[in-house]
Amino acid sequence: MSGDAVVTEIDHDEFNPRGTLALILVYFAILVVMWVFMYFVEFLGNDLTVIG
Amino acid sequence: MHIHNYEKIWLVLAMIMIVGFLTTVTYGATAVGIEMISDEEDTIDPGALDEDPRFAEPRVEQVGENEYEAYVVAQQYIFSPDPIEVPANSTVTFYVTSPDVIHGFQVAGTNANTMVIPGEVAKLTVETEEPGEHGIVCNEYCGSGHHVMEGKLIIHPEDEFEMEDDE
Repeated sequence: MSGDAVVTEIDHDEFNPRGTLALILVYFAILVVMWVFMYFVEFLGNDLTVIG
Repeated sequence: MHIHNYEKIWLVLAMIMIVGFLTTVTYGATAVGIEMISDEEDTIDPGALDEDPRFAEPRVEQVGENEYEAYVVAQQYIFSPDPIEVPANSTVTFYVTSPDVIHGFQVAGTNANTMVIPGEVAKLTVETEEPGEHGIVCNEYCGSGHHVMEGKLIIHPEDEFEMEDDE
């Protein structure tokens, strides 16, 4: 880069990492779906279940 | 400390998820009634199982209208009785112990699963629903024949089930 490139300074709140947010939301959705599947379908649906 | 808005979003989501995990486990323990297998049962002399009224003769016993108790001995390398036969739509309590080494008692493909420790009695209650056959496997390495140690749990349709030795 040449030394006279335009440099814009933005403060902390103006930087919005949308890609990172989207990625985290996708991870979150995967975790929620996997948890629901694991607990309610694989675990609770897996009779015989110990009840005492 | 200043926290970026996006960072607040994923902090809050992470908290919600943890609360969600705890809520589902609490739901399982209260509404569904899932229990852990405890060590509450009295200890037993593993060398004298043949003098114990429950384990001298491993068997299934009817203890209520729709309630059965199965006294199971896991030893190198068999489960007795084999097969364990119970009716569908009933409450079955297994009492499992071992005269020799640590074994496992797992009704394959289900959540009925416990360690079997010499000197202790593992107690687990399940509700049978559909008729069918389940394998029982030992899931703790117990010696050279561990891999052949297996049993069978047969859940009979209610109307076809008869106790062999009604007294």
